Amino acid sequence: MATHAAAPARSLYDEFLALFSNVLFAVSLFAVWGVLTLIGVVVDQGKDAAAYWNEYPAPVARLILRLHLDNIYHSPAYVGIIGLILVSLAVCTFKRVIPARLPPLRTVKIDAIPLNASIDVHGEEGAVRARIADFFASRGWQVRKREFGGEEWMFADRHNWARRGVLVAHIGFVIIAMGTTIYWWKGFQGTTAILTGQTITVPETGARIRLERFGYRFDPVQTKSGLVYQPIDYVSNVTVTGKDGVARQATIRVNDPLDVDGTLYYQATYGYGISFSLTKDGVPVPNAPNGPLKEGAGFQVADTPRAIQYTRFIGTIDRATGQPGADPRPNNPAVVLSAFDGDQPLGDILVPLGKSIDLGGGYKLTPAHYTLYSGLQYRYDPGVPLVGIGAFVLLSGLCIAFYLLPARLYVRITGTGRDWHVGLAATTVKGYDIFEEQFHDLVTALVSGPLGECRLHTNAEGPDSAGAPRSGGRAGWAGAP
Amino acid sequence: MNIDQVLLITALAAYITGTIVFIGYFLSRNPVMRTIGIPLAAIGCVAQFGELGARWIISGIWPLTNLYGSLSLFSAMGVLIFIAFALKYNLWFTGGFVLLIAAIALGYATTWNEGYMPAVPALQSYWIKVHVPLVISSYASFMVAFVVGALYLVKYSFEKYFGRKQTVAAAMTSAGAVNVPVSEYNADVGISDVRVTGLRNDTPNIAAAAARGDFWGMWLETLPSLAKLDILAYRIIAVGLPLLTIGIITGAWWAKEAWGAYWQWDPKETAALLSWIVYASYMHLHTRNVWRGYRCAWINVIGFATIIFCYLGVNIWISGLHSYKV
Ligand code: HEM
Repeated sequence: MATHAAAPARSLYDEFLALFSNVLFAVSLFAVWGVLTLIGVVVDQGKDAAAYWNEYPAPVARLILRLHLDNIYHSPAYVGIIGLILVSLAVCTFKRVIPARLPPLRTVKIDAIPLNASIDVHGEEGAVRARIADFFASRGWQVRKREFGGEEWMFADRHNWARRGVLVAHIGFVIIAMGTTIYWWKGFQGTTAILTGQTITVPETGARIRLERFGYRFDPVQTKSGLVYQPIDYVSNVTVTGKDGVARQATIRVNDPLDVDGTLYYQATYGYGISFSLTKDGVPVPNAPNGPLKEGAGFQVADTPRAIQYTRFIGTIDRATGQPGADPRPNNPAVVLSAFDGDQPLGDILVPLGKSIDLGGGYKLTPAHYTLYSGLQYRYDPGVPLVGIGAFVLLSGLCIAFYLLPARLYVRITGTGRDWHVGLAATTVKGYDIFEEQFHDLVTALVSGPLGECRLHTNAEGPDSAGAPRSGGRAGWAGAP
Repeated sequence: MNIDQVLLITALAAYITGTIVFIGYFLSRNPVMRTIGIPLAAIGCVAQFGELGARWIISGIWPLTNLYGSLSLFSAMGVLIFIAFALKYNLWFTGGFVLLIAAIALGYATTWNEGYMPAVPALQSYWIKVHVPLVISSYASFMVAFVVGALYLVKYSFEKYFGRKQTVAAAMTSAGAVNVPVSEYNADVGISDVRVTGLRNDTPNIAAAAARGDFWGMWLETLPSLAKLDILAYRIIAVGLPLLTIGIITGAWWAKEAWGAYWQWDPKETAALLSWIVYASYMHLHTRNVWRGYRCAWINVIGFATIIFCYLGVNIWISGLHSYKV
């Protein structure tokens, strides 16, 4: 009974191992990974549902939202496929990559191997053998000799260790995966927007940051398609208080983040906070809205169903046309406000700073003045060093696997007296074609160098005239066209 | 006219003439054409690097901050990599196609030339001097590999076509794919059946057509064997993939400094990952005998399509943090 039950379980396990160690299966997983990644590139990620309904035909939008294609990189399918690749990699490493050993030293049928050459040599047996062995050894081949049935074979191996390149590349990938997992486990990130003069406390770390000043620089540049205001610099001058409780002055720029107790703060965005004043029948309505609003924020107009959203800041209103100009810097600035009645949008309006608009019911709204705010992104990621190491290991593995070709030469020397026949064949881990030219060069060097001096037989054609044996020899070629 | 404009026109002219000369060489195999084509390619390439250098010196602005600069480098690097591989592996027969693509890329690049523009803050980093050239060089390698892969597919299709059109019994007896027993070495790394082609003439139908004086047969016959084309493409991709890998890594490093996270799933970096996945698949499949050759040539072509998508498609149609169109 027990044996019956055990058998299928065992075979299922075997099947799992066979499947997950199969390179074609791994590549199929790669293909799925590739398709999911492509979807992520094409479909905008992380937008509100409404954005998809606006941008795509309804059935496509529905599909995107149903299948969570709007946040594909964190979807179970995406994470799952990377998980499966890692499992496959692990199985493969133990089933295939690590067990792949040097092939045993065995005799082979030399002329059945596509890359082979046969050379007839005239000379002392010992000298011929020694010259061949020295030749390969001097070129970095590891030469070993074995006797089979009274006959001595020579085996030369090169870059055998480089078969570990595959293992190294695979380990590199695993280390990167570990590094990213550490972030999920222990890291965090967030964003914050600080108005000039405001102090915020970062919830995750308790660090306090006060924005003293935010500065920017735009340069007008004349391009072929007109005047462009090119951003040149964004800089936040801050006072930070970290774990030690000591306040420090610091600056944060794009490409130059600030490190506070291991958490990095980056210059991400900036904007203009607007202070509004709302009046009813000429009397200020207190706290409506409360403090400066950042772009995208809104407020309810006191006890009415009306709501106002501060949609966008316009740096320059062309004085002649009254329309927004190209210069993003505040020079006759205005704001775009959107009005709502309940959920119903009533429309957008451009309001210069300092001017009032009538909201009806005696209410008047004035965007009074602006305060710059700086948008910072912060991130704590203890996995970064591991990802860096993994990337380095992966790259080393790629280079080893691609540029060093493990190969073996089989040399069989037969004959009597002073007439010897050298049979030479080559195999590599990447087939024969890839080694054809090197094999050609190797045999050319052998017959024109050490064996040439052994006085080869006459009337032979070498691989080409330049490499032909000096005293003429017979070098038979297989593999050459 | 500025010196950079003179150099630009020189490069374009050299590539266009070079294309014609190399295509002539491709079809005729007249070595004189090759002898004329090589200096043309070299002149175009040097002029392009000169042009990028001149722009840098004149404006004091690193020239690779917009699509114009990056496409120029793509074109120059493509030609440089072509020359390097041609010197080592006699790849001159691809010259006409590589120079054609280089000329188109450069011509298209000029449509994005807005003049000298200072870099936006995100691009003001020494990483741009490392990351961009690496990534562009990888694209350029894949471009050259694509040309070789496409020629593989052309030769392969003609071999099939001639095979359908005629009986080539005579040619088949003297040449063709050879079935060989499994070598000891390959057996140990898991390959169970080796069908090795390419060590001899692996396109007997083309050989027969060439012997009959068929025009297409004759020039296809002068191309390297299918097996050699496959290995050439593999070798070039083996240069491109590590370059792309370092390119992605340096990009991630830079992103960590500029935006806060080394990976943000920005369309550009994700598209580069897509290309990486395709070429990593190529490398894995190339270890399998049945996949080497024809099927890998298709993956090579698909890989280059993803590069074009990542390079131009994402820059132009999909905006993100990486888009130069700010
Ligand atoms: C995604 C990360 C991976 C990377 C970066 C990677 C990298 C590589 C590289 C560079 C090679 C050498 C190819 C050559 O020399 O032409 C290789 C070979 C190999 N890979 Fe991967 N690989 C990955 C995933 C996998 C997975 C998931 C498997 C699971 C089956 C796998 C199985 C193999 C095997 C068996 C070989 C050796 C093939 C042979 O020589 O017969 N790899 N890999």
